[in-house]
Amino acid sequence: MKKIIFIISIALIMAGSATAGDLTEMNKGMKGRVNHEALYDDSCNACHTGSAKQFVDDSACQDCHGSINEIEIDESQLKMAEANPHKSVHYDQGASCLACHAEHQTKKPVCSECHRTWFEEM
Amino acid sequence: MSDRRSFLKKTAGFAAAAAGLTTCLPAQANGQSSIKWDEEVDLLVIGSGFAGQSVAVNSIRAGIKVTVLEKMQVIGGNSAINGGWFAVPRNPVQLAQGVTDDSPAELVKDQMIAARGMGNEAMLTRLAEMALPAYNMCLDAGVKFKKDFNIQVGGHNKARAVRLESGTGGGIITKLYEAGLSEGVDYRLQHKVEDFIMDGDEVIGVVVRKGYRFPDEGTGHLVKIRARKGVVLATGGFTRNMKLRSIVDPSLDPSLDCTNHLGATGEATLAAMTHGALPVHMNMIQTGHWGSPDEGGFGWSNALLSIGWHKGIAVNPTTGTRIMDERADRLTCSTAIMACRHKDGSPAYPLVFFNKNDHLGDSRVTRAVRDEMAWEFDSLELMAKKFDVPLKQLEATVEQWNSYVADKNDPDFNRKMDTAVKLAAPFVVSRVWPKVHYCMGGLKTDLDGRVINAKTLAPMKKFYAAGEATGGVHGHARLSSCACLEGLAIGFIIPNTIKADA
Ligand SMILES: Cc1cc2nc3c(=O)[nH]c(=O)nc-3n(C[C@H](O)[C@H](O)[C@H](O)COP(=O)(O)OP(=O)(O)OC[C@H]3O[C@@H](n4cnc5c(N)ncnc54)[C@H](O)[C@@H]3O)c2cc1C
Repeated sequence: MKKIIFIISIALIMAGSATAGDLTEMNKGMKGRVNHEALYDDSCNACHTGSAKQFVDDSACQDCHGSINEIEIDESQLKMAEANPHKSVHYDQGASCLACHAEHQTKKPVCSECHRTWFEEM
Repeated sequence: MSDRRSFLKKTAGFAAAAAGLTTCLPAQANGQSSIKWDEEVDLLVIGSGFAGQSVAVNSIRAGIKVTVLEKMQVIGGNSAINGGWFAVPRNPVQLAQGVTDDSPAELVKDQMIAARGMGNEAMLTRLAEMALPAYNMCLDAGVKFKKDFNIQVGGHNKARAVRLESGTGGGIITKLYEAGLSEGVDYRLQHKVEDFIMDGDEVIGVVVRKGYRFPDEGTGHLVKIRARKGVVLATGGFTRNMKLRSIVDPSLDPSLDCTNHLGATGEATLAAMTHGALPVHMNMIQTGHWGSPDEGGFGWSNALLSIGWHKGIAVNPTTGTRIMDERADRLTCSTAIMACRHKDGSPAYPLVFFNKNDHLGDSRVTRAVRDEMAWEFDSLELMAKKFDVPLKQLEATVEQWNSYVADKNDPDFNRKMDTAVKLAAPFVVSRVWPKVHYCMGGLKTDLDGRVINAKTLAPMKKFYAAGEATGGVHGHARLSSCACLEGLAIGFIIPNTIKADA
């Protein structure tokens, strides 16, 4: 377990903190984020409890990355200051990671439903 | 960032979560002893918009433990994306402006006119009387309103609408959420209520899809939660439920998009109806003619058109001719706009355009152009090319319009010409198509927020409804800035009801 923590730490440092990791092919024929590679060695249980469909919430993300307000975003990458999804005037901390991020495929963030030109699919 | 969180902690978290799921508490309700509850709570609130959050915060302050279930991956529903207008008779800015003759009764007078005989005067009065406490609750929670701002909005006889500094109801939602969290409200996202568990006329719990990932109905898994003190349905409207929408109002064209959040689908209302809750006014659905097909939600369109309706004209792209008195009421404009169709019946979105140089630097224009829901053109020719409009006719239309402006007379549609100006390139152009906006209908409640039973017309037990999910309050038309008021105000009433019913 300690080894995994170590690998994750290194991966996070290398990936930087600004954006979600790129999608890459994982060993089980499934796509995943490069910075999560180590998690895939350990079966799906690192994030999923039971079957994938039953996945409950984003506590798995939060336990490593911290809460939405704690995660720093590289603001120079934003289209404009208002387009900071971690400081949304609509939701602030009341947004699940999964509203904008997906692990195995790209996803359009929830904000792009209205603000169509503000965000890229991640 | 990872050093603060240990993997071990994470694993322990999962173990606890898994244990929580499998704990089955024995059911104790009368006649329901066979029910295996996964969890028991005191008060269960469904929905985290204005109504749900105000009920939650006021309940916990009244000593009632609360759990809020929200099906989406974000809090707030329509409230989080709304335009941030809030009607508050006798608010401090209004008084400072010298408007001292307003009162809750004055507001209700306006609402009853808009309701066209179908409103609930007693209920509107109870809600209006809670406007100031609701406003103060916001201030206490740290909500920021636009400084010194209080204006008169459509259908109101007085300036009494304040507005959030951020321009959206999210300014309230995020702060009430913060307050609720710190005071011990238990909020859960991705918990979709699918059914109610009844003991006769009393609601004793709910069936919840836990871990739901909208819109995939196969995600998550079902759990049963017992609610000892009651269930508050604060699930909002159903404008995104196309099937229901067309059943209750077949006149609503399916081509109409919607301003609402994607989860406004009304399944909890329908589930309550199957257990005997009485729905009213379900066919009364408000649309706005100010929508744009080039953005989602409410967007910038309405604000941009506040220029366009006065300084510009609306043209059918297939003919190049004007379509209406641009300043006419909603119904007249909606009808004229929706008559613009291509041969195959699909919408031919009318173009509204005005002079760019008269509004340089106006944020209503700059943000619309920035976000690609409006465009700037240096000539009619370029505009005609982009939207496939017959150029000759478009030129003729503008020339004729400019002569109408000179004469201060619009022989085609009899528009009031006091704000009209001659059109000259460059232009700002946007497209319009009406959007469905608000459900006046929903579950009937008594004045204390209890859901009414369709068979007995008496209140059901421990079953409450709040906000846009209720019906029969606003009658034919809800006035702008009054839905914010309704949702926040009912939160002061329902906790008292729950205490009285205990
Ligand atoms: C774009 C827009 C602009 C507006 N502008 C204004 C304005 O400026 N002023 C004003 O007064 N009004 C405005 N309105 C209207 C007003 O915002 C809404 O009527 C009001 O927010 C409704 O509040 P609510 O709490 O009843 O419902 P909502 O805020 O919609 O909350 C309902 C919540 O319940 C959740 N839910 C639904 N079903 C379930 C289920 N089965 N299980 C669990 N959760 C469920 C939803 O996901 C949602 O989060 C606007 C509306 C829109 C859409």
